[in-house]
Amino acid sequence: MAETPQKSIRDYKVPGMGGGRRMADRGKKTEKAKDQKGTFKQMLRYFANEKRAVVLLLFMVTLAVVCGILAPRLQSSAIDAITQRQFTEIPKILGFMAGVYAVSCLAAYLQGRASAYISQRTVKHMRQDLFEKIIQLPVGYLDTHSHGDIMSRMTNDVENVSTTISQSLSSLFSGLLTVFGTVVMMFYLCPPLAALSCTTVLFTVFATKYLSAAMRKTYTKRQSLLGSLNGTVEEMVGGYRTVVAYEKEEQIITDFTEISDDLTKVGIKAEILGGSMGPVMNLINNTGFVIIAAFGGYFALKGSISVGIISAFIVYAKQFGRPVDEIAQVWGQVQSALAGAERVFAIMNEQPEDKSGETKMNELPEDPDIVFENVNFSYVEGQRVLKDFSLQVKPGQKIALVGATGSGKTTVVNLLMRFYKPDSGRILVGGKDIFEINCDSLRDAIAIVLQDTVLFADTVRKNLKYADQEISDEEMIACAKQCHVDSMIRKLEKGYDTELTADASNISRGQQQLLSITRAFISAPRILILDEATSNVDTRTEKRIQDAMVRLMKGRTSLVIAHRLSTIRDADRIVVLDQGRIVETGTHDELLAAGGKYRDLYMTQFAGQET
Amino acid sequence: MLQHLKKYWIFALLAPLFMLGEASMDLLQPTLMSSIVDDGVLGLNNNGVGDLDIVFHMGIRMLLLILFGAVCGIMSGVCANIAAQNFGNDLRKDAFGHIMHFSFAQTDRFTTGSLITRVTNDITQVQNMVQMGIRGFVRTLTLLVGGVICITRLHSSFGGILLVAMPLIILVLYVFLSRVTPQFSVLQNRLDDVNNVMQENVSGNRVVKAYIREAYENERFGKSNEKLVETQLSILLLLNYMTPIMNILLNLSLLAVIYIGGLEAQNWEISPGQVMAAVTYLTQILNALMRMGMFFQNISRGMASAQRVREVIHTEPEIKDGEKTDIPYAGGSVEFRDVSFAYAGREEILSDINLSVKPGETIGILGMTGSGKSSLMQLIPRFYDVTKGSVRIDGVDVREYPLAELRSRVAVALQKSELFHRSIRENIAWGDAEASEEELWKAAGIAQASDFIKGKEEGLDTIVSQSGHSLSGGQKQRVAIARAVLKKAEILIFDDSTSALDLKTESSLYQALKEAYPEQTKLIVAQRIASVKDADRIIVLEDGHIAACGSHEELLESSEIYRDICQSQSGTQQNATESGKGGVANG
Repeated sequence: MAETPQKSIRDYKVPGMGGGRRMADRGKKTEKAKDQKGTFKQMLRYFANEKRAVVLLLFMVTLAVVCGILAPRLQSSAIDAITQRQFTEIPKILGFMAGVYAVSCLAAYLQGRASAYISQRTVKHMRQDLFEKIIQLPVGYLDTHSHGDIMSRMTNDVENVSTTISQSLSSLFSGLLTVFGTVVMMFYLCPPLAALSCTTVLFTVFATKYLSAAMRKTYTKRQSLLGSLNGTVEEMVGGYRTVVAYEKEEQIITDFTEISDDLTKVGIKAEILGGSMGPVMNLINNTGFVIIAAFGGYFALKGSISVGIISAFIVYAKQFGRPVDEIAQVWGQVQSALAGAERVFAIMNEQPEDKSGETKMNELPEDPDIVFENVNFSYVEGQRVLKDFSLQVKPGQKIALVGATGSGKTTVVNLLMRFYKPDSGRILVGGKDIFEINCDSLRDAIAIVLQDTVLFADTVRKNLKYADQEISDEEMIACAKQCHVDSMIRKLEKGYDTELTADASNISRGQQQLLSITRAFISAPRILILDEATSNVDTRTEKRIQDAMVRLMKGRTSLVIAHRLSTIRDADRIVVLDQGRIVETGTHDELLAAGGKYRDLYMTQFAGQET
Repeated sequence: MLQHLKKYWIFALLAPLFMLGEASMDLLQPTLMSSIVDDGVLGLNNNGVGDLDIVFHMGIRMLLLILFGAVCGIMSGVCANIAAQNFGNDLRKDAFGHIMHFSFAQTDRFTTGSLITRVTNDITQVQNMVQMGIRGFVRTLTLLVGGVICITRLHSSFGGILLVAMPLIILVLYVFLSRVTPQFSVLQNRLDDVNNVMQENVSGNRVVKAYIREAYENERFGKSNEKLVETQLSILLLLNYMTPIMNILLNLSLLAVIYIGGLEAQNWEISPGQVMAAVTYLTQILNALMRMGMFFQNISRGMASAQRVREVIHTEPEIKDGEKTDIPYAGGSVEFRDVSFAYAGREEILSDINLSVKPGETIGILGMTGSGKSSLMQLIPRFYDVTKGSVRIDGVDVREYPLAELRSRVAVALQKSELFHRSIRENIAWGDAEASEEELWKAAGIAQASDFIKGKEEGLDTIVSQSGHSLSGGQKQRVAIARAVLKKAEILIFDDSTSALDLKTESSLYQALKEAYPEQTKLIVAQRIASVKDADRIIVLEDGHIAACGSHEELLESSEIYRDICQSQSGTQQNATESGKGGVANG
């Protein structure tokens, strides 16, 4: 089945809190959501929960914008008062200004607060919903989709969506409002000067458009080179042992140098274009400044405006140049956030695992039998993995499945656990179709130990008690003793309280498997499945575990899958699978005597020992 | 690290100089504007009669200056870029080259994950810091210092206002940033927690479902999520105080400037144009101050990255080439003399190993997990150096060999088969770049890989995908084995490299290998007796010692541990002994 994927660093990002990437995003191609409307609607539902905060946010943004437009007007009155030498007016005007500033600061504070709450609460809900969804997904979904991709939706996209939306939307709103208010105010104060100021906006729009288009090409190229550089580093540093073993260091360094030099060349090109953005914008702003100073002076001399108005215009021109420049970028961000949201919702809108079924296991006999009836199954359409598979496991029997890699052994387990659904045929437990049995109840009754051990970054104790945290320590230790792991665990740094690291890399693979076997024992199942459970334990330890297993499996229906034939000799029945079909069944002795495929397998393993 | 920048010193020097030009032009604007207002519009020096000529004359001067400023700005960008990107490039290549020459012990110490981040993210961070440092920082600093000078020249009391406002702003910046910065590392940890729970659930989904722990996992995730959001929120809320407080300070200073400007204008000490200029300067200065705060934050992050990169490029590869040349080939003998070995800072894993392997001999190595089998093998190509004693190949201590020479004599198939994201052909050809098509297929054939490779639509040109979905575990192992076989080295080491193969395939593989290269010295580490049964000698390692050594038959006779292993793999005690006798009889 799907291999455990390796964590890819490319999927991780430093915890950005949004923002700060505006310059970098310029020129990057904006990704668009395929169904913007639908995605937006679904996203609105998250924000709908925060109605009060959103209303507060919008109100505060409006208030801040109004203050921002009023303040320069007051400032111009103050300058006029100075010019016209009406000094008694000044304190009064300053008092008003102080009032406006106070309101504006308060509004900015509340706006930030509201926006923080909105973004964090939505990110929390979205993340939680996504997680809940992911663990409800059928195993098939996770087997067929890249885990790195799912992780990245969780980490990058969710974060991006909520912060961008709450921040960008409010800055978009405030930007539009500011542009509108400022333009109105400027035209009210001096229409000709206002019209002249607006020409700089045209320059801004033109420059942004032209430069971004020029940058886009090189940025895309740089992005792909960066990707291949990072890929090389990841692959070669990760596979460093092999590189060294084959003395390929110099060749790899040469390859790397080539990519790195290419990247630098393209990078310089891209950044020179990107780097001129700042000075060009500065040029446009300063030109605006000159236009206002010179033409303002001209109009003032003509007597149509006062000096104070010039000072107000200087502030206004700045105030409205910035949002114009920003709106295009923010719009791009909103679009890429929508695309991210679409990826998140794509998972959320997946069909969850079918857990239906009424019958509870305790309504079935204590020791249920298992019957596979003409089961056919394929992971990929057209490629049958199990063909007309029929098997009956009587209560308390130990059945072993053997066969070459890819013969369908693990698939049998996947179907019995309801991880996958058969294409046709039925599986019965205790005489009941497993799809009529409550899924949780079915899984509760079965314990599996898998090929890939999965342990959690938690204490050994919590890992062992994974199935049921209520179990007492005495019971847990008793089980651990039966599995011969008690002494091993006690040798660990903090015994049962040792914290396992992520991937349990602080204990050996063998120890990992022992723990996962013990975990299965502690869950006291009615049916036990061991899928290559002991492949990484050395054979003598395995033998010890098996002694314990024999005791524990007594009277328990069990299915054992193994490469090592030694582990299954004492099975009640051995089923030999080949390319999805049962080719032989019988006891060890019967099969050996039959001289078929099993004997072949057995002889390769013990050739020379059994004569 | 600065040495890397030295090479580009011209650009690194020109960039700030050009930036100085751009920023100075910005600083001149408000002064010119004030003369437009005072002399042009108000005609203060002309008894209140304005002069349109002055207005336009000044306007044109301003335009020229800003054009000059823009050119300076663009040039500064170009220079900063050339300096920073080339610097980054050199640093990256240097770091990568270093890593490729690290010993295994050194890579272990850093961990590969961290090395990857250092070469990719950290270097980009450092590069950005340099670029930003020589541009943005200089610009901000010029605006700040120049602004203060200009505003004080307008009137000394404006300088007084700044004297009060600036320390306050710095204090606010300091207080908030110093409180927020430590929270960022907390944030990183919390984020890791959330990602870990997520990762565990995605890759361990079968276990979660099998134990019906969905609700429990939801709760666990909920807790991590809650904690993460809590931290994030507290950082955001803390930072949220900053803008309004800074705005209050800025606005209060603005009010003070206008107020004092008004008072002074009353005494004819200052003109209205100068008040306007002062207002503009003040905004420039305080904005620069705030940006300065952000710079410090970024630089402290950049410095942390720089430190991590420095650790890499200042670590000297500890395994160095030996001096000896022209070491004669002697068929590939391996000798361990009183070898002891311990991983750095851990207990000894091998003690006093003495073993002599003759050229062409096949040795099987068995032992429990952790008994030191892999460690013993890794000493041969000098992946690690012994802590005591010596390992000799063809009679010469491995430490005396040049590394390339040594490793060309040894081919290793590792426990974890690492394949690269290229075609199967290229992967196998790592063993021998000059190998012909025929040789490639021969190696694949010995590794029992030709059948499945032929079964692939694109045969040898099938790309090994990064996630490994295109090949199964057993197929990957066989490609890795083909690669090792193709190398045709004197000594071939299989470090538990056939664990994913079924027994039939494995035994055909060993058979084919024996037939094709009987003269090769072979060391085979394995778990299963069947894998090593036909070896000339079998070694059983236990707790870092050689517990038994001999052929299968001899060991069945003499070694209890070996019998124990056999029995664990074949069934009953009796069976093992019987089969042992059978074996001897056969032998």
